[in-house]
Amino acid sequence: MTDTATLERTRQGTAASLELTHALAQTLYREARLLDTENYADWAEMLAEDLHYHMPGIETRYRRDKTDQVTDLTRMAYYNDSKPEILKRLSRLETGTAWSEDPATRYTHIITNVEVELTENADEFRVYSNFYAYRNRNERDEDSLIGNRIDIWRQVGNSFQLVKRRAILKHNVLLSKNLNIYV
Amino acid sequence: MRFERIGREPDYSRYMDLKEGWLDRRIFSDADIYEEELYRIFARSWLFVAHESQIPKAGDFLTTHMGEDAVIVARQADGSIRVMLNSCPHRGNKVCFADAGNTRRFVCNYHGWAFDTAGDLKGMHEEYCYDDGDIDFKNHGLKNVAKVSSYKGLVFATFNGDAPSLEAWLGDFRWYLDMILDNEEGGTEFIGGCIKSVMSANWKFGVENFIGDAYHAGWTHDSGCRSMNDGMPFPPIDMENSYHASVNGHGWEFGTEGVGDLVLLGRPKVMDYYNKIRPKMAERLGEMRSKIFGSVASASIFPNVSFLPGISTFRQWQPKGPMQFELKTWVIVNKNMPDDIKEEVTKGVMQTFGPGGTFEMDDGENWENCTTVNRGVVTRHERLHYRCGIGRQIEHDTLPGIVYRGQYNDANQRGFYQRWLDMMTHDDFSKMPTRPEPRLGNVAETRDLPGLFAL
Repeated sequence: MTDTATLERTRQGTAASLELTHALAQTLYREARLLDTENYADWAEMLAEDLHYHMPGIETRYRRDKTDQVTDLTRMAYYNDSKPEILKRLSRLETGTAWSEDPATRYTHIITNVEVELTENADEFRVYSNFYAYRNRNERDEDSLIGNRIDIWRQVGNSFQLVKRRAILKHNVLLSKNLNIYV
Repeated sequence: MRFERIGREPDYSRYMDLKEGWLDRRIFSDADIYEEELYRIFARSWLFVAHESQIPKAGDFLTTHMGEDAVIVARQADGSIRVMLNSCPHRGNKVCFADAGNTRRFVCNYHGWAFDTAGDLKGMHEEYCYDDGDIDFKNHGLKNVAKVSSYKGLVFATFNGDAPSLEAWLGDFRWYLDMILDNEEGGTEFIGGCIKSVMSANWKFGVENFIGDAYHAGWTHDSGCRSMNDGMPFPPIDMENSYHASVNGHGWEFGTEGVGDLVLLGRPKVMDYYNKIRPKMAERLGEMRSKIFGSVASASIFPNVSFLPGISTFRQWQPKGPMQFELKTWVIVNKNMPDDIKEEVTKGVMQTFGPGGTFEMDDGENWENCTTVNRGVVTRHERLHYRCGIGRQIEHDTLPGIVYRGQYNDANQRGFYQRWLDMMTHDDFSKMPTRPEPRLGNVAETRDLPGLFAL
């Protein structure tokens, strides 16, 4: 899968039931709300211990170019993190000296186009979605980050944990000075 | 070749007094000064355009900018590298839209003018529309730059036919560069891909930060350091055994403790790797350089490339107007590292100095606000303070360049702006001062230098 224009969205598995689809959509919305409110402690609770969180850097290349920019994990990536690595990044916010987070950045995550399908593992579900992560900071700093996600969520008791996420940001040049946001 | 602007010859020396240690804020936002920088600095300097490893095979290319001029960097069938304007000589359209790839031809989308990877015009759509004498194919290729040259994997190009050789341009700074480019047999390579981001800041703020500003690290990046190292703050700086070294506007600030930047990377396996090769590094580069590598350090190559030896981020600050730059970020690794160490380095760089990195996140806002606030019509007439450590210059037996003791210093920044001033005020390259007088001379290989440098 090398097409970076959009993530593969054709159904690979069977569509999940209405009930499961609803439960996972609600999970995505809850996650977005936690990120909007910088509730990273509760967000971290939603991350599986074996999490892989990946947001590759996307170069502009001709269609004939078969370079795998999406799944080749040796290439440059904004994020290519395990859970402990995500927690390391988040721990910066607890130091009290993350100067560029004070005053606080204002976030809104809009999650759409949710599709849920079954996988070979009875307790794991593939979830497609689109994100619009908006940030505004200080007076006029404003960023709109838009892209696709493909996740694996695992059912644990009555809730779900994120096992895998691949987020494709549509920027070539990140139109911002940094990426202090998770999608 | 000269690229002159007509009718503007201001006295740039009034924008700074580096012996006193101050700068005029207008150099960070003034549109006329910025235009002049494009002519006098970017159109005349040797500029980094690629790492050899990015375009290993014939037909491999990448696109980048020299100043604000778009260029293609392409590997030729004979192994040489050509650098040419990414602009069709017919109407000026871009002929290559990709960041990188492999091709036999660059074909303009507008009228189908087709160029080979050397830039030679090979044909066009409906060629019959040109009568005999209308067009000379030989003179309508993609304009090649004046010179292309490599130093240990780094490819540089210049529009300036009068520029000195790349070796002379880098001068004694090669002694320092070899610490990242030549610390192990096999040399270096870039990891695939390039992360680009945009900051609303003047390009010089990025360069001067990396060239000498160890001072900001312990404060700006306290949060980054603690997050990567289980809550530990920056180690105290040893002002006696740390230095600034400046050569022709290039600069490297460094400790000699050997581990500081490797600690900040937060990847114990990478630390182990370098500790393992350090005895060989000492044989290869001398004991002093083996102790400098891995220490808290940062460096810039004039005018707009920076890197962190040990942390392995490699970056270029591309000017996009007086108040904006595009930051291109790569990861540089030793070619002979095992794959898992390369992966560790890459992850470490992106967790510290990628746009979402624990260090990078706190830099951009500083530089943006330095730029925008300095622009106020009253504010811009206030001088900025660059005097830190101004009395600490020393002569050092081993270290080439203009050397100052104490890593917390503005010395390399002053050296950078001195070179900036030299370039802004000298029309004739041959009359431009070399700062300091070189020790290495024409010695090609810093490893082969006599005893003085092998310490």
